[in-house]
Amino acid sequence: MYSIDGCMVDHQSGAPEGRKPTSPRGILFQTDHKAIGLQYLWLALFSVFLGMMMSLVMRIHLVWPGAHLPMLPSFGDSPERYAALTLLHGSLMVLMVLTAAPQAGFGNYLLPIQIGAGDMAFPTLNLLAFWTTAVSLVGVTTAFFLAPQTGVTLWIAGVALFCVAALANALNLSVTTIDLRTKGMTLPRLPITVWAWFINAILSLLIFSILLAASVYLLADRVLGTHFFSLPAMLSTASPNSQAVALPALWQRLFWFFAQAQVYVAILPCFGIVTHLISTFSRKPVWAQRAVVLALCAVGLVGFCIWGQHTFASGLNPYSPLVFGLLASSLGLPASILLMSWFGTLWNGKVQLTTAMLFALGFVSLFLAGGLSGLFLARNDLTATAASDDFITGHFHLVMGIAATFAMLGALFFWFPKMFGRSLDERLGKIHFWITFVGVYCVFMPMHWLGLIAHLHLSPEATLTFATAAAWPIRSFVTSATLVTITAQGIFLVNFVTSLFKRSEAMEKNPWRATTLEWSLPSPPPLGNFAGRPPVVYRDAYEFGSEADFALQSRPTDSTPPAMPGGTEPGLQRLPPHAAGTT
Amino acid sequence: MPDIHVVDDIELIIEDIGGGGGNPPPLTGDGGSGDGDPNKRRKPTPTSPRRYQTAVVLAMLSIVMFFMALAVTFLVRKTSSDWVPVHLPFMVWVNTIVLLASSGTMELARRKERAGDLKGFRTLWQVTTGLGVLFLVGQVIAWRQLVEQGFYVSTNPASSFFYIFTAAHGVHLLGGVGALCYVLLRNFKKTRLTQSVAAEVTSHYWHFMDGLWLFLLALLYLGK
Repeated sequence: MYSIDGCMVDHQSGAPEGRKPTSPRGILFQTDHKAIGLQYLWLALFSVFLGMMMSLVMRIHLVWPGAHLPMLPSFGDSPERYAALTLLHGSLMVLMVLTAAPQAGFGNYLLPIQIGAGDMAFPTLNLLAFWTTAVSLVGVTTAFFLAPQTGVTLWIAGVALFCVAALANALNLSVTTIDLRTKGMTLPRLPITVWAWFINAILSLLIFSILLAASVYLLADRVLGTHFFSLPAMLSTASPNSQAVALPALWQRLFWFFAQAQVYVAILPCFGIVTHLISTFSRKPVWAQRAVVLALCAVGLVGFCIWGQHTFASGLNPYSPLVFGLLASSLGLPASILLMSWFGTLWNGKVQLTTAMLFALGFVSLFLAGGLSGLFLARNDLTATAASDDFITGHFHLVMGIAATFAMLGALFFWFPKMFGRSLDERLGKIHFWITFVGVYCVFMPMHWLGLIAHLHLSPEATLTFATAAAWPIRSFVTSATLVTITAQGIFLVNFVTSLFKRSEAMEKNPWRATTLEWSLPSPPPLGNFAGRPPVVYRDAYEFGSEADFALQSRPTDSTPPAMPGGTEPGLQRLPPHAAGTT
Repeated sequence: MPDIHVVDDIELIIEDIGGGGGNPPPLTGDGGSGDGDPNKRRKPTPTSPRRYQTAVVLAMLSIVMFFMALAVTFLVRKTSSDWVPVHLPFMVWVNTIVLLASSGTMELARRKERAGDLKGFRTLWQVTTGLGVLFLVGQVIAWRQLVEQGFYVSTNPASSFFYIFTAAHGVHLLGGVGALCYVLLRNFKKTRLTQSVAAEVTSHYWHFMDGLWLFLLALLYLGK
């Protein structure tokens, strides 16, 4: 096993200073994709801590309903407040963290560099998309403090704005990938991360417009007094059975058409990141790389088609659950391909257990554990008993929320040196990893159990008393575990802040000895990335284990004459900075 | 590849290799000429039509999904018991003819531009823009006609759908009018885009808006 820390020490100073705007206006309104990517990450960091605090408040109220928490009573303690907490926790986490960070944050920062472009295809659109997201975050958060009815209207408007921003960002990422690849960056040579961001951008383009349309209808219902999702009062009392039940289903269909695919929007870039990290830290090419790309496409495609599984309980044509159930179960196929590829890459690899790698492996573990319970939920008959309960809460938190968070943390540990020219502390990172890893299992695994005992087929009264008695210790255990896990995030925050402000180390360009183009640049990369000399790509994205351990994508192969005199073998380790990177 | 110092030229180079992104790195130096884009070959000026064309195609895809969601809701909702059909106001048919005419003048304008008649192009393009604005004004008049019949946005679901469809289409068309004005007013000496490419991309979007309107009209007319 290598000691990564040894590589981090001063080797060559990367001279990271590009032209940096200094005025506040200049810093806030840069169109540089790296600045915007970082702003998305800051936004996600703020939201994730806010969302985590809300989950803590919810857990405490579940177990100790009488507990007095500071500040909160001033907002009132009606049931609507609790519902608002759930709504805000969910929307912050799903939109501002799981959608914004892996796709818009890391995608914005890394995708143009990894394909050898100077910036995104439409930098101004990129800037607008970010600020629309920021306004949406303000709207969604403010909604919590308003009276419930106004609050919900504002919240929907915020979500609609987020859709617009997500569409703009997805358009930008996909056009950039299609048209701005540098010479030699063929599709088979695209890093898996870029593939994942690209497929995800296309999927986002398709589904966020659905949510936008649904939000438009809903806003019209609330503001203009239309009746898209409800019947006028006198009519619905006239025929209560048929129509009054059918109309919420209309909203549910539209919503789940978006929301089921949204799960894959959150997780697809994480697949890319994890594949990338596992290959880099196993010092081996991605095993069955083409199959992985096809599996990513399949996840996007099938994920787009299985929205119906959320409406099993709301009344469907009796045959459609069969179709949706089969399709949903068939997602296990691409998921298995991904898992096999990760294990195949790890097999016989020179595995380096850096913090980034630990988080990537943690992702694999969580994805596997959470994904297994997903198989139960894909079945129509079982879902009817386990839906909308602790079982499903445990399932999607593990497989979507926490797994994706692990991928993001892995990505942060991996790319932090590139973004800031400093590295995060590995020791603190590992402590943080282990507490979080054990903690999240303690939080979400018992929830599956809770969901199952709530549905034991006893008489109604017996179920109630038994479930309450058996559930109480489990619930309080979950809450305690939540407290510990959230406290442990303080370690990460300390690590992050101290690393950010510690004296600038003279970082090596490529501390992890990775292969993609961003590692050929100084840390942080200058404005315009390649200084007007776009690199030429000669190699696959994951050429590890070659004679020199690894080869940057821009390093000419032996059979290729170098495109420019003086630019020979830029990918070799520890070359002077002016030689590495470009042709 | 020679050293390049001017930013615009660098962007041109990036475009060129971006265009050839699907090819393996050529051993000789003829990087970007491999792709079959007639615009680029015809005018070796600093243009990058591909990204704009790609963007418009992808945007259309997204817009189709948006209007499909609107349309599907319409089809489901109209089966419920409170549905009262709305007779389309007469003005809608006039507007349709105006919009179709604008697509026609736009193609005529682009033909003039290809023939090198820039003055004729500008005149016809202005006519197109005028027709576009006329369409939007006409839609507002159609709304007023509907209001005079007593159909407000919240009167019944059928009228709600009419207002939402026309408003959503109008907002998208307004973007098209913005693009039309951009082609007219922008000084293309300063941009990477040429007028001809900008006109082409705008025309794709405009014809798409045209077809989308026909679709919505058919839906409203046949589905009432």
